[in-house]
Amino acid sequence: MSRTIAVGDQLPTWELPLTPTTVVSTAIATRDFQDVHHDRDIAQAAGSKDIFVNILTSNALVEKYVTDWAGHGANLRGIAIRLGAPAYPYDTLSFTGTVAAVDDGVATIEVTGAVSLGAHVTGTVRIEVPA
Amino acid sequence: MTGDTGRTLSRQTAIVGIGATEFSKESGRSELQLSVEAARAALADCGLTPADVDGLTTFTMDTSSEIALARELGIPELRFFSRINYGGGAACATVQQAAMAVATGVADVVVCYRGFNERSGSRFGQFSVAAATQVNTNGLDNAWTYPMGLGTPAATVAMQARRYLHEYGATSEDFGRVAVADRRHAATNPNAFFYGKPITLEDHQASRMIAEPLHLLDCCQESDGAVALVVTSADRARDLPHPPAYVVAAAQGSGRDQFVMTSYYRDDIGIPEMGVVGRELWRQSGLGPDDMAMGVLYDHFTPYVLMQLEELGFCGPGEAKDFIADGAIEIGGRLPLNTHGGQLGEAYIHGMNGIAEGVRQVRGTSVNQVPDVQHLVVTAGTGVPTSGLVLGR
Amino acid sequence: MSHPTSATAEPLVDPAVHEQVMAEAERIKALGEASERLARDPVNQPTISNWLEAMGNDNPRFRQGEAPPSMVQVWTMYGLGGKAPADDPLHAMMNVLTDTGFTAVLGTNCEQSYERYLRVGEQLRVTTALDSVVGPKKTAMGVGYFVTSRSTWYVDHEDGSAEQVASMLFRVLKFVPTRAVQPPVDPPEASVADAADGPDASRFVLRPMKNRDTEFFWEGTAAGELRVQRCNACGVLRHPPGPACPSCGALDRGHVAASGRGTVFSYVVHRHPPVPGRELPILLVLVDLDEGVRMVGELVDTEPTEVEIGMPVQVDFRRVDDDLTLPVWRRTGPAEGSRA
Repeated sequence: MSRTIAVGDQLPTWELPLTPTTVVSTAIATRDFQDVHHDRDIAQAAGSKDIFVNILTSNALVEKYVTDWAGHGANLRGIAIRLGAPAYPYDTLSFTGTVAAVDDGVATIEVTGAVSLGAHVTGTVRIEVPA
Repeated sequence: MTGDTGRTLSRQTAIVGIGATEFSKESGRSELQLSVEAARAALADCGLTPADVDGLTTFTMDTSSEIALARELGIPELRFFSRINYGGGAACATVQQAAMAVATGVADVVVCYRGFNERSGSRFGQFSVAAATQVNTNGLDNAWTYPMGLGTPAATVAMQARRYLHEYGATSEDFGRVAVADRRHAATNPNAFFYGKPITLEDHQASRMIAEPLHLLDCCQESDGAVALVVTSADRARDLPHPPAYVVAAAQGSGRDQFVMTSYYRDDIGIPEMGVVGRELWRQSGLGPDDMAMGVLYDHFTPYVLMQLEELGFCGPGEAKDFIADGAIEIGGRLPLNTHGGQLGEAYIHGMNGIAEGVRQVRGTSVNQVPDVQHLVVTAGTGVPTSGLVLGR
Repeated sequence: MSHPTSATAEPLVDPAVHEQVMAEAERIKALGEASERLARDPVNQPTISNWLEAMGNDNPRFRQGEAPPSMVQVWTMYGLGGKAPADDPLHAMMNVLTDTGFTAVLGTNCEQSYERYLRVGEQLRVTTALDSVVGPKKTAMGVGYFVTSRSTWYVDHEDGSAEQVASMLFRVLKFVPTRAVQPPVDPPEASVADAADGPDASRFVLRPMKNRDTEFFWEGTAAGELRVQRCNACGVLRHPPGPACPSCGALDRGHVAASGRGTVFSYVVHRHPPVPGRELPILLVLVDLDEGVRMVGELVDTEPTEVEIGMPVQVDFRRVDDDLTLPVWRRTGPAEGSRA
């Protein structure tokens, strides 16, 4: 279920093409009905290029990225992210990651999710490493 | 209802060890660990070891089971374990259970414990949705108050307090005198939350309203911490390091038409369950209010201290406001109360810290020692089915 | 994408405004964990499955009773048309800053910690506290304050204990924009939910526990009747109800519709702490019914200074929804013997 994790391990890059459907379906699945996540007219009137991915989805994608690699049995303890450039439809969200520390049974993985404008999220994920 | 067969619990057992953690707003440790630390301290206090312990008692509400504590302490086998219901009303009854078990030979050494993160974890002072949605008769009882918006301890007490003021012409300042006395005692107790922080009646009156007529300073603070007590036979107690605090009487009480915190449907909405406790304490001990050198009366909310003085027979109905005037319940007064600072001043450890103070007063080691203590009374949670003790030399 | 820089010699913000902002921040911080709400639904598989589908997550654990940890916030979202309650500390701080000119908002940090994985069927409760307000800071976006809130999720257990299962620090920059056209922002819900109109669907309703002994009372309130249990053997009235007559022990019982008239036996003005789904203060009265029984209810349309013991009151009914109607009380005159 879970892999062996060591400091310096690189996670393979994951590229997620974004579409309006991605943005809207994830916003609704996270019960986030703010109009900037599903109504392009309103998003543009507010100065945005388009609708954009909401924060709850950024967290969800970070979870998927790390646990798909570490193994579905690995328990997630926390996600701490800084929020950066918006993730718009027709852009690609590319995740990269490195194991920064393994300490007391918990691995800290540095993750970046980048879009064409720069980093969308940067942060750390903590997962329990099976003994 | 009095037993006249000559059988008695009186003076057959004693509290020989007391232990506690620090009292804080955030212990940073599990509730089980707090109880482990308090139990170890209590055993060290009386020179016993976990191997000597064969019984454990606690509150139904405690989140650490007897078997979990036994595992952590390394108690090899338990012959006796029990729990008491109704929140803080259990405090003195944990000692009663222990005393009954030891007196009948069911157990030799019983540790009574209570540990919680009641400030940093689940806070009792909040509106508890869980209490209102229990699938049992308590949940049904709470259906008559919680959905209406009455569901915090302070508000349920305030309903009784308002009526008490109306019936007897007492005032909020009379409640305040209890807080002033407690905080004066806490001010000289280094283990108290409010060490070095006495208050005046003006401070009490100026504190904000929580549930009228209760001010903030009528209400105790939620606390993290644990207290443990060791009970054994009077014979064995005499060989241990400290003077024994004999269990001279130990009683539980539930009144007619009793509810938990909301006994609003009897003619007088006071706390007659404490009258039941008092009558039984005096019967078992053969003593009376005049024989008590001091008292530790459960004080999570000030109005109940006045009501308890009346129910226990220290004064007549409605007379407590006169009884407590002029510093009578402060150190040096006629009946010093809550010399550790009470739950208002030391910490709210569900009444168990008050029993420990009773033991210190019998030993002569309180920071606010009352001279020549032969006997004293300790009570448990009020507004609920409750319990009490008379401790003595 | 914010880059705080140190303050220059010129104050970034009028000292009077800064003092006001920080004073309000202290006041709101002192509220502690407020704005307590229950999740609309317990943790449930359909919502998890929708989320898994949208995220493309195929972790089999989440088809076998566990919920994804990063989904924790989803359970307590306000939902479509939902709005932050007035006592929400983040909402309150946002309003303070908006009112003092810091109109724009940008989410900057989100830190979630998970104590354990949730399981299907668990009921979540969340509280929000204002953690800190730091500033003023000059950033690439403009001058503003970093506002950090802390959400804590709990599962309440039957024994009365509350288990913390997750927490989140959420930081936003609340700023005066330096550009005419704003960059896209992803505001926290609480800061924009005011725009929503209509009934607050997420408003928490505490429902009374009922059983065969008590349901007649609640059927009565729904029908506009205040029902009091009556013993069919000896005729004694009783509230709260129960299966055995306290007077004669008979189990055969019915009920009567009370007149709904009574007087205040005692009362409480509840000001603190918060009561889920309710605005404070709440006036609560213990009413002596003319029929001789007593019951607790809210006193409505009356100021705290107007209530007194002995005051005559009349029952009314507040329909909450199809499943719940609460009895409430209205004053009908001054207390007997008073000169009100």
